[in-house]
Amino acid sequence: MSDQHHARAKQLIAQERVEGISQAERDWLGTHLQECTNCATHAQETEQALRSLHTAAIPLPAGLASRTQFRVQLRLQEMREREPKRRALWAACAVSWVFGIASAPYVWRLFQWFGERTGVPKVVWQLGFGLWWTIPALFVLIVLLMEKVRQGGEPDWLRQSK
Amino acid sequence: MSDDAKSIARGLQKRDPDLLDRLIEQYQYRLFRYLVYITGNKERAEDFFQETWIRVLERGHQYDGKSKFEAWLFAIARHLVIDWQRSKKAQSLDSLTDPEQENPLQFGNEKEPSPLHQVLSHETQENVQASLSQIPAIYREVLVLRFQEELQIEEMAGVLSVPLSTVKSRLYRGLEALRGVLQGGAA
Repeated sequence: MSDQHHARAKQLIAQERVEGISQAERDWLGTHLQECTNCATHAQETEQALRSLHTAAIPLPAGLASRTQFRVQLRLQEMREREPKRRALWAACAVSWVFGIASAPYVWRLFQWFGERTGVPKVVWQLGFGLWWTIPALFVLIVLLMEKVRQGGEPDWLRQSK
Repeated sequence: MSDDAKSIARGLQKRDPDLLDRLIEQYQYRLFRYLVYITGNKERAEDFFQETWIRVLERGHQYDGKSKFEAWLFAIARHLVIDWQRSKKAQSLDSLTDPEQENPLQFGNEKEPSPLHQVLSHETQENVQASLSQIPAIYREVLVLRFQEELQIEEMAGVLSVPLSTVKSRLYRGLEALRGVLQGGAA
């Protein structure tokens, strides 16, 4: 029997456990293992090594689950307490935005009137109007950035695996 | 995916406290064992265990029940460990983020009979764990996921965020490393 046969047998022994092998390969391996004591021992050792891994027990620290449950419940409570505040913040943003849009024509006129009264260049009061109107959007952006910083970004690995 | 995964996803979306308690109970052993194997330290594993469940609470809405819950859980635990390793800047040989070494897998010399089978019959669980601790973490991890947690290779690829081919290559190397350390223990 050539070295190639033994190498193939050992490869199939590992492959069978890792990703599976075809029926033809299984038949070939079975025949080879009946004829080759070394490869049969190799297969047996691999099986025993995996069995020992499978049955290896690790003692759980006392009260691990209850301590964790307690911490999780505390965190949950904390999150629930913070939720109304966050909702109020978003509601305030929404209201301010709606109000901004509704009042835009009046504010435009107000800026125009003020510009004419003070004699500032047209572009300046128009810029002032633009800035005033973007305040809610900037506010939302700041809130979003703060949230992102607080959470440390959204790691890819937290998304569902394929 | 099963109805169970869907109901877990619904419960996590609602941050159902009873569901969380039940999941902590149900998965405590598997998660803790996984963490012990990837960190190599029981105290640290305990800290990560608690942090993992806090993350499950905070990010539970991201689990949609299309994959196994345990695969998602292990992915969270794993990345907490990786983040911690990065923050420590510990580029140790045992790091989970070590690059794969693409040397061809070497099978042992078949002409040299090993005393492994004699040893295994006397091997205590402690010895198995001691042997496992000698295997690089990236291989130890795949062995645990495949042969203890019985995850499919595709699920493992999701947990580890690596291609299927990398999972397979790590498994072959891990298997060989496991045999190697057990043989070494016998010598």
